[in-house]
Amino acid sequence: MKINTWFGTLETDRVGEILESKLFSKDIRKLALHSLSLRESRSNLPPEGFDLKAAAIKCGFAESPAEYYFLLHEVTLEAAKLQVSSAITPDQRIIQAVEALDDINETTNALSERLSEWYGGYFPESELGGEDLALFIVKYGSRENVSSEDPLYLKARNSMGAKLEPADEALLKGFAESVLSLYERRQQIEAYIENSMEQVAPNLKHIAGPMLGARLISLAGSLEKLAEFPSSTIQVIGASKALFKHLRARAPSPKHGIIYSHPLVNTAPWWLRGKVARAVASKLSLAARIDFYSGEKDPSLMEKLEAKVLQIRTLNPRPPQKKQESGVKLKKRRRK
Amino acid sequence: MPEVKKLSDGIFEVVKDKKQLATKNLDPGKAVYREKLIPVQGTEYRTWDPRRSKLGAMVLKKFNINLKENSKVLYLGAASGTTVSHVSDIVSEGAVYAVEFAPRSMRDLIRLASRRKNIHPILADAGKPDSYSHLVEPVDLIFQDVAQPNQAEIATRNAIRFLKRDGYLLLSIKARSIDTAANPKEVFKAEVKKLEQAFEPGFEILNAKDLKPYHEDHLGVLAKLR
Ligand SMILES: C[S@@+](CC[C@H](N)C(=O)[O-])C[C@H]1O[C@@H](n2cnc3c(N)ncnc32)[C@H](O)[C@@H]1O
Repeated sequence: MKINTWFGTLETDRVGEILESKLFSKDIRKLALHSLSLRESRSNLPPEGFDLKAAAIKCGFAESPAEYYFLLHEVTLEAAKLQVSSAITPDQRIIQAVEALDDINETTNALSERLSEWYGGYFPESELGGEDLALFIVKYGSRENVSSEDPLYLKARNSMGAKLEPADEALLKGFAESVLSLYERRQQIEAYIENSMEQVAPNLKHIAGPMLGARLISLAGSLEKLAEFPSSTIQVIGASKALFKHLRARAPSPKHGIIYSHPLVNTAPWWLRGKVARAVASKLSLAARIDFYSGEKDPSLMEKLEAKVLQIRTLNPRPPQKKQESGVKLKKRRRK
Repeated sequence: MPEVKKLSDGIFEVVKDKKQLATKNLDPGKAVYREKLIPVQGTEYRTWDPRRSKLGAMVLKKFNINLKENSKVLYLGAASGTTVSHVSDIVSEGAVYAVEFAPRSMRDLIRLASRRKNIHPILADAGKPDSYSHLVEPVDLIFQDVAQPNQAEIATRNAIRFLKRDGYLLLSIKARSIDTAANPKEVFKAEVKKLEQAFEPGFEILNAKDLKPYHEDHLGVLAKLR
């Protein structure tokens, strides 16, 4: 009877004596790959209670139990590593990147505000913020150093801000450098997402844009789940707060989740946003499915969507009369 | 100086401020989770928190866990290795086959195993022992903590394949993963019955106790092949 083991293939007789053995070389990586290939095999399994270690020593694969365990340890470890690294699928990497981006954004905003608050005491007239302010501080430090070619030169000279002492200047510059590097990191992650989306979900990227597409995958949990969602769900993904309110208090159902940020939706006149969002969601759903199941890019998807939106717009050029629009809806909206 | 009392092979009670369950650290100087390291006369002990480990709780509830220095253990549901690390301490000259199916947990387990030569990590579904039968030798003890509805079945399949005739099965049964609404006592009774009648000749139940106060709604079971 033939037996597959992690160290080789054995031929045994009825009582389990080894008649013949074909041993693998002691190459850890090859042994690990071979071990993984045996996971699904249904035939030639070792019989119940078969002593693998004794067999390995008997047929000369290992000289001693110690050597057997040493090799087994290396092989199981290598195999597990291979499995774990392949368990991170490309869409999971995108999700990690999206989450990192959100964290970075939050931190960057908080630190930028701190910087602007702090530097505001020394140059309140600059009107700079965010990355521009950080760049400015890294470049000049005190407003006294602003060069005459700089558009802010006059404002800096006539500023009513306090004088920046060297110790504070050093501190502020260092802080601004940190903020700046966060902005750089953000760009790097955005470029990564854009690039990965093109490979993982080109149709979704085309319809939604890279960031919105990545966020949809992230909120759904995976490209597979997104592909399984009905388009009515895609329409409200990310609107969970509004959605729960709707379920609990019978507030009007939310028309749009994060797809509200889609250019076709947020440029639509208010009375068409629901309709447009529905059209966009249905194409996003289709795009996710094509990406998940075939992966081929279909440029006609976007054309069809644009045509559909144009049709919606031409059919409904004017806002509806507000007669039977229920009062509830308006009140809710105002309260937000 | 802390006082050390041996409870059974490889398992100790260290008294420092209070009584604490402990094992000898196989990887001196390194803690695995947030356990304490207590050196006593050239030997380092790692405290073993029964609230974080079903097996630790079983030891304190006087289950005979039947482990020796050179025992071979099949551990099903290894998670990130909290308890596995103590088993690895106990069977310092033996082997722990640590099966876990969640890649996230396996990452931690790999880190642990790369420092401890007697842990052999296996990313697989414990419900499919055929998928690792090419790796695992006959073992002296199967410990299982998977918190799955079909835990009795998983234990049975693995025991048939890997448990030595004179080996033991130690099981942690979680009532709520089987039936969230039912009375835990009823669930436990049904699970024990399953083990006794699962197959011919079936298991003989040597001990079955709940794991209070360390774990709520958990039953510990010690069994051997009939
Ligand atoms: C309660 S935790 C185990 C905790 C661990 N025994 C300890 O004390 O450190 C249960 C673990 O079993 C794993 N698990 C559940 N079903 C499994 C299966 N069929 N095969 C392998 N692992 C499984 C889960 O992923 C989880 O990590």
